[in-house]
Amino acid sequence: MTKAERRELQERQRAAKAAAKAEGGDAKAKGGGKKDGGAAAGGAGGTRKEPAARKETQAAAAAAATARKDAGGGVAVGAGRVSGVHAVAEARGLRIFSHFALQRPVAAAAAKGDVHPAIVRLGLMFASFRICGANARCIATLGAFKEVIQDYSTPPGTTLARHLTTHLSAQISHLVSARPMAVTMGNAIRQLKLDISGSDIDLPEQDAKDALCQKIDDYVRDRIIIADQVIQETAAKKIQNGDVVLTYARSSVVEKVLLQAWEDGTQFSVVIVDSRPMLEGKRLLSILSRAGIPCTYLLLPALGSVIAEASIVFVGAHSIHSNGAVYARAGTALVAMLAKRHSVPVVVCCETYKFSDNVQLDSFTKNELAPLQAFGAQALQGGPSLEVLNPLYDLTPPASITAVVTEVGVIPPDSISSIPLALGRTVF
Amino acid sequence: MAVPTSPARIRPVEDKSAQLRPSPSVIPDVARGAAPSFLEDPRTIPHAFDIYATYQRALSDPKISAPLAAILALTELISRSEAGTMFELVKALNDGAEALSKRAPNPIGLNAGCELFIAFVTLFPHESASFPDLKKELVRQGQEYASQALNFRAKVAEQTLGFIKDDSVILTHSYSRVVMQALLHAHKRKRISVYVTEARPRGLGLKTCDELTAAGIPCTVVLDSAIAYVMDKVDFVLVGSEAVVESGGLINAVGSNQMAVIAKAENKPFYALAESFKFHRLFPLSQYDLPTHKPGILSFPQPALSLEAKLSASQGRPGPDPSSIKPKMIPAAPQSLPYTEQRTMTPEQIAKNPDVDYTRPDLISLVFSDVGILTPEGVSQYLVGMFAG
Repeated sequence: MTKAERRELQERQRAAKAAAKAEGGDAKAKGGGKKDGGAAAGGAGGTRKEPAARKETQAAAAAAATARKDAGGGVAVGAGRVSGVHAVAEARGLRIFSHFALQRPVAAAAAKGDVHPAIVRLGLMFASFRICGANARCIATLGAFKEVIQDYSTPPGTTLARHLTTHLSAQISHLVSARPMAVTMGNAIRQLKLDISGSDIDLPEQDAKDALCQKIDDYVRDRIIIADQVIQETAAKKIQNGDVVLTYARSSVVEKVLLQAWEDGTQFSVVIVDSRPMLEGKRLLSILSRAGIPCTYLLLPALGSVIAEASIVFVGAHSIHSNGAVYARAGTALVAMLAKRHSVPVVVCCETYKFSDNVQLDSFTKNELAPLQAFGAQALQGGPSLEVLNPLYDLTPPASITAVVTEVGVIPPDSISSIPLALGRTVF
Repeated sequence: MAVPTSPARIRPVEDKSAQLRPSPSVIPDVARGAAPSFLEDPRTIPHAFDIYATYQRALSDPKISAPLAAILALTELISRSEAGTMFELVKALNDGAEALSKRAPNPIGLNAGCELFIAFVTLFPHESASFPDLKKELVRQGQEYASQALNFRAKVAEQTLGFIKDDSVILTHSYSRVVMQALLHAHKRKRISVYVTEARPRGLGLKTCDELTAAGIPCTVVLDSAIAYVMDKVDFVLVGSEAVVESGGLINAVGSNQMAVIAKAENKPFYALAESFKFHRLFPLSQYDLPTHKPGILSFPQPALSLEAKLSASQGRPGPDPSSIKPKMIPAAPQSLPYTEQRTMTPEQIAKNPDVDYTRPDLISLVFSDVGILTPEGVSQYLVGMFAG
């Protein structure tokens, strides 16, 4: 078969397919509504002037497709004209952001199954953003799990190593229903489940529970508290006399770093960039200025005018993906990109337990929406056609990050993937 | 925590087959080292032992570079030290490394060596029955490594050869032993010609030119300010290194960074040659984040009190570091140093200039080392894998 013949065959098949589709579409359009059917017929009539037969069928198919869409709309309008505008708005919102988890207010009574009171309380605090921030949430979760473990008694016929994980799963799913799980919590829970399943079945129950609580304490100490101290010392050394340090929103680690550097006697000033709706930087501002550090506070739109004054940018992170991309408070990516553009080094402070094995390429595949009522923000007066979108996080590409300060050293974002191996965490 | 790469790098002494033996003057005599005259205070380093002098002595050998000299100085320290436990020994080593680092004008290279050796000592399996035996073993391993490391340049030269095409025009900077070896090795098989920068103020480029010309390689010295002019004519840039750092970047004689920037602008490959003992756990965020950066470097002559200082003085805070802020409009002070007849810089003016600079990883095409040909990311992954345990 020559090339021309093959091409001819392909085109014939394609035309046949399009024709079949057009027929089906027309039938549907007629079913949907009279005026839409008419539109389709008009469209098809217009294309009849086209000389080439193939083009004609294609155009007919396209017209049929639009007709189909119209038909769908017609059905919706027919179904309920009263809520018509609202339905359209909802549909639009759903189409793009339906996968972003938007918190529904959780009622304490909504807890399904055997949920521990500590977890119910924690869930409410998560949902209301009383406990916020990857480290704080992880520490609070592990603390609540310690209570759960201590109050747990193994039902007859099973062992702790086998049953406790399922008992914990119910608690975890309650927490997740309050607010999507943080990567830090995920990592810590994975480690905890590993410890549970590895606990000795011959151990008396109370001893096994104590051992698990000890492991939780060790995890918090080694991976969070000590790690923060090391990061604090390492990163504080990167601040020199006369530096202007720029930071975005509030990260507990960055806060510690700045206080440490100030305690070391380094003379520097801080620019705190903040953004609605959470305005977390205000808290950082009050803590730093109470320590005596000269601070400037501004909102994200003003960043462009001050970025040239900054000598270094410090930001925290929610998690770091294995390609080196940093998932952090929405706005971080803007700050990092602008800083990179102005050749200001961007330093991310992040413990290794925040490393995630996933690769994320943008902040649309996974994100979280901030519930406005949690921050006391009055609803925007825009009527039903307005939809407010407040993603909580964004993704900073590795190219706009200079260095990541971890407890194992200062490393470039590209080398993140070699760290878990060095830590011996090959198996999760 | 096991660091898998370290033991492989400082290899056990069994394979002695084809090594360069260092000259006897370089390796300190172990027997002499166990000096019994310092028993008054056995826990500290004997005062009579001057680690810096030992380092200098090792460095005087033209084949020994700073990291190796530091390793040799530390082995000498071990054999002299009376430490009775591993903890004491590591502490003595850390103190020795710090003493060295404080006294050396440019501590980057020796820090890399100290870091490598101390990491090796801490990870060394101590199964020896007696601690003195362990110390002897450590000394032996350290010296063995230093002697083996003299082979590394030949390995690097061999690896570079594959990237040098016949009739290549190469641009290099200042004087580097590993680059010299690579060029001389390439000259045996291929026709190459070399442009070398003068590398003021030390003028080491002239030394490169003399040695290459003596070997029969066509070589021309170019001004440091003519790098952009010559870049179009060269096929690639080859520089040595003082240290290769964790970001994947490079610390080398000042001028390397501008060479890399220009090479990038002209899309010419920029290759760095570095033996693996120059890999250093350091992450400079900028030129001024290097350990060699002193407040005096790039400082302005102090006329009257500048506006900046006045402002900060009134607020009771010291003025910012002059090197880290952009120059403000300071009223022009009368030049205190008269121009000499030859219009060359005075030693005071030179002292305000850096010896080394930092080249960002995105400007470097490849790093040739004895552990392989690495991309800058590869270098940082190697370093992270080795030390971040």
